[in-house]
Amino acid sequence: MLELRGVTVRYGAVQALEDLSLRAEAGGITAILGANGAGKSSLMRAVSGIAPVVAGSVRLDGQDITSLPAPARAKLGIAHAMEGRRLFRQLTVEDNLKLAWSFGARRVALSASLAEVYDRFPILKEKARIPAGLLSGGQQQMVILSCTTIRSPRCLLLDEPSLGLAPIIVQQIYGFITDYAARSGITVVIAEQMAMLALKVSRHCLVLRRGRVVLQGPSDELRQGSDGKALAASYL
Amino acid sequence: MDDFFFSLLLAGVSVGAVYALIALGLNLTFWTTKTLNFGQGSLMMLCAMLTVWLSSQGIAVALAVLGSLVVVAALGMFIERWTVRPALKASSGSMGWVVSTLGFGIFLQGMAAKYFGSQAMAFPDVIFSAQDYVTLFGQFVSLQYLVVLAVAVALILALELFVRKTVWGQAVQAVSLDPELALVQGIPVRRLVLGSFMLSSVLAGVAGVLIAQIGGTVDPAFGFDLVLLGFVAAVLGGMGSSFGALAGGLVVGILSKLVGGYVSTAAEHGIAFALLMLALAVRPQGLFGRPEVSKA
Repeated sequence: MLELRGVTVRYGAVQALEDLSLRAEAGGITAILGANGAGKSSLMRAVSGIAPVVAGSVRLDGQDITSLPAPARAKLGIAHAMEGRRLFRQLTVEDNLKLAWSFGARRVALSASLAEVYDRFPILKEKARIPAGLLSGGQQQMVILSCTTIRSPRCLLLDEPSLGLAPIIVQQIYGFITDYAARSGITVVIAEQMAMLALKVSRHCLVLRRGRVVLQGPSDELRQGSDGKALAASYL
Repeated sequence: MDDFFFSLLLAGVSVGAVYALIALGLNLTFWTTKTLNFGQGSLMMLCAMLTVWLSSQGIAVALAVLGSLVVVAALGMFIERWTVRPALKASSGSMGWVVSTLGFGIFLQGMAAKYFGSQAMAFPDVIFSAQDYVTLFGQFVSLQYLVVLAVAVALILALELFVRKTVWGQAVQAVSLDPELALVQGIPVRRLVLGSFMLSSVLAGVAGVLIAQIGGTVDPAFGFDLVLLGFVAAVLGGMGSSFGALAGGLVVGILSKLVGGYVSTAAEHGIAFALLMLALAVRPQGLFGRPEVSKA
């Protein structure tokens, strides 16, 4: 379970998150919705330890990790797929996976972990020796997701995994995410701009606007109920 | 082969190997922080001077070298913590580290002049004396030259193997490609940066001892222009490439010795910097520089 209490993130004079609190339970997906610049990425960066948190606390399964540096948090089991399809573009697909595994929890042997990834995404086996930067957008996203799951994380943060991908690829990617979330039972938080998609896969949902939570609740209520209007309003 | 040409070539290869070592040291910190330690020259000098001083106190030469390398490695940590990190923290993309590392180098040079005197000191024979020769292609070749070359090549191969074949080497590459991504992937970036400065300083120390061994003497000013030549070698070979460092070092070494032998020794350094300008104009990524791999 991931818990934020009164977290404020500030970059110089710019306030990215203000007094934000959230609880993301394990065993389900929590969706973070919001327009560009609403603070979705800052929230995730505050959790993984690369954003300047000036107030509040971050807890993973009850343990306060607010003062831990990013590598220590990663070691505790926080896996963060950053926005903008970040991977080591000059390293091969397999080297990216190996590196992620090496600095992860190492609960499963490397060969078994790689086999699992290649079994799930056979195309990555074909491209294993190719620099990751040369893959298509969808394939890169598969590598990035696999780099997070190969670490055997306790908490998964996915920042706009659908960005810039063809609808059919988005479906495939989300199929993998929901499947993995259900199978592993860990805490999964997804930041997403495609509201309907995020509401469909998630159990709980938060809407951010200018660094604050403006709406939250169970996803199916937000999708069907009168909150639909409020949801639309928060994007305007 | 002409005797004179051959001896120049050999001297060039030998000093070129040392330039390669210096370039390799510069590469190391460039990998992890995109900064260069311009105080390297003073570390070379200090390591050689400390070796002379320690051995004059009756310590075995090998131990003296080892002790000096430890001191230099500690100074590498100091440089990272107190000259590079604050400069990078002040504002990302700032070039303050150029001034701060160079400044620390000048400080070390001044301290060395104060405590060891500014006179040149004779450097002890570490492995072979200047009188040891072997015959190669019918030529007398100083064993010292061969030792310098062998040490340089061995270190370069070891470093290249480390980077390509080990997890920690891959982690260093990851830090050089995207430090923030490396952080969230659990790579201890801080420790790697510190390690790179220590190892870079040790390489500078080894280079200093080797070149003092060839030259026979050290003084506080020693090392300052050497680090510039190492810089030329690094840029020429492609900043960040180990084999580039070796190739760049050899090109600079051989060319400057040939120019020194056939034209004028005064032109030795001039030609190296002419080479630098030519390289920057024609092939800025260097001989072995890797072009960006990306897909829009």
